[in-house]
Amino acid sequence: MTGIFKITGITLAMGLASAALAQQAATPAAVPATAPAAAPAPSWKQGMAEGQASSPLHPFAPHMTGRPASELPIDKLKVPAGFKVEVWAEGVPEARSMTLGDKGTVFVSNRNLSNVYAIVDKDGKREVKTLLKGLNSPNGVVFDKGTLYVAERHRITRYDGIEGKLDSPPEAVVVIDNLDPNKQPGHFWKYMAMGPDGKLYFNIGSPQNITMPTYMEASIMRVDPKTGMIENYAQGVRNSVGMAFHPKTKQLWFTEHARDWISDDMPSDELNVVTKKGEHFGFPYCFQGDFLDPQYGKNRSCADFTPPKLNLGAHVAPLGMRFYTGKMFPAAYTNNVLIAQHGSWNRTVKQGYNVVRVSMDAKGNAKSEPFLEGFLTDDKADPPMWGRPVDVLQMRDGAVLVSDDYNGIIYRVSYKK
Amino acid sequence: MRYPRSATARRARAAAFAAALLMLAIYAAPAAAGAEEGRAKAAACVACHGENGNSASPAFPSLSGQPKQFIVSSLFQFREGKRQNEVMSPMAAKLSNADMNDLAAWFSAQPALAPQHKTAPANVDKGRQLSVQNNCVACHAANLMGQQHIPRLAGQQKDYLRAQLASFKASTRGEMDGVMTSAAQALSVEDIDVLADYLAGLPVAAGAR
Repeated sequence: MTGIFKITGITLAMGLASAALAQQAATPAAVPATAPAAAPAPSWKQGMAEGQASSPLHPFAPHMTGRPASELPIDKLKVPAGFKVEVWAEGVPEARSMTLGDKGTVFVSNRNLSNVYAIVDKDGKREVKTLLKGLNSPNGVVFDKGTLYVAERHRITRYDGIEGKLDSPPEAVVVIDNLDPNKQPGHFWKYMAMGPDGKLYFNIGSPQNITMPTYMEASIMRVDPKTGMIENYAQGVRNSVGMAFHPKTKQLWFTEHARDWISDDMPSDELNVVTKKGEHFGFPYCFQGDFLDPQYGKNRSCADFTPPKLNLGAHVAPLGMRFYTGKMFPAAYTNNVLIAQHGSWNRTVKQGYNVVRVSMDAKGNAKSEPFLEGFLTDDKADPPMWGRPVDVLQMRDGAVLVSDDYNGIIYRVSYKK
Repeated sequence: MRYPRSATARRARAAAFAAALLMLAIYAAPAAAGAEEGRAKAAACVACHGENGNSASPAFPSLSGQPKQFIVSSLFQFREGKRQNEVMSPMAAKLSNADMNDLAAWFSAQPALAPQHKTAPANVDKGRQLSVQNNCVACHAANLMGQQHIPRLAGQQKDYLRAQLASFKASTRGEMDGVMTSAAQALSVEDIDVLADYLAGLPVAAGAR
């Protein structure tokens, strides 16, 4: 399928949709009076405004079995001067979040699929093992002191001494259960990070695009793996699928997706910082620090909520983020944030599908710039991209891995003076 | 006279055929990685799904001209037990990821034949209206030829379509994000019959994807 072909397809789709709408408008009497009520909307369709029902915008599904790198335009990828990007591992279907073991094993999670993979570097070649199977959307993985923690939709488990048992992993030991009591669709897959306090931080997102969450939802929670004690750490977070602790301040930074179906350019997705436990980041009342939700924001003020550290752009879907602390990249990258952007889909002209670098000036003001791009090849096509970054992971040598769930590929970005 | 067509018409048909071949050569070639391997592996599929994936039975779906990603996703769902069928589940259980990619490459590159099914005249307008009302085109794309992980509906087998819609309505049909299960809730049993009859007779648009 060529790009030209796809443009023709989408143009036709839009033409047909508008022709169909026009026809519908012209013959209202022909619609039977007993027409059934509209279908209840799935999560991503919820919150569409009147007139958006026939929008051709839709989320993109990953290639479930992965795609070989040889079929993809890897040479289209771009990094700044002096950097190099290459395929590090392929055949890792729906590669999502990553964490690094003490002995160098890279653990990779799934969201739609149900596996956790272990990738071992053997004589310069990567061996991909399916470590755990049959899990419930195991999107969050953390390695800490010999233990692999896995955040599924409904629970967090631990696998002790995992790197010595890659071919016969132990049974899961439950850290906390019953995190998904309603089993409804929604943003309930989890990202997970280990805090400097030894607690596991994870998101419980909002049930739909834009609805009032319960006290457990639209939050960042933390659990002490020693006691199972759970706390609400941050509120008003629509969905965060990326978090990391600042190497110096030890504060929690996290990415957050804003609501859909307002417009192409509104509201912006966010990079946030938690300065104290219990802070509220605005959902569902306020977005991007200054945009009140048309429905829920009516009697609120954005001043009541913590504003973002940085607005990253509308619908770019920032996911995994890491602070760079390695020695390989130029010194200016130290403590910069690298963020994988997985979107956009809810935008007629697409943007994102890249990894951005966020740096701070002397006053602490943040700015972002592209770091790894080239996945987005035609911003008006459907699909507009051939790959989607999900998470970033710094390796021991200072190189950075980037996962791509659309293709089941992991890339490596390195630097040489 | 069985063939009252003029020489001009024959030439036009020949030209159209040549153009179609050329289109195939242009558009099928880049997508054909694995297609040759898929051809051999497809031998077990054609008993039900028909020669080159053009089903001749109302109960079995056509695979020809389906988006590659849709075929892979479906096989994957059967193998993982997320979609179940007494015939397909055991077939898919034995497939590797590479098998699925090859099969999908092969079937997606096979041209879909014009449907044998003729929509009942009364259902032509009714079906079109239902498909507009339910925004089928928003995901199933121009001419309902499908895209990415979403199937081609135009010219698909009627009984198969009806069975899928009915099981979506019953919330028993596996899918990725619940879009079809929720969409089907708005359909009455009669709507499902009309839609299946309408879609099964829709012409197959060459190269609509």
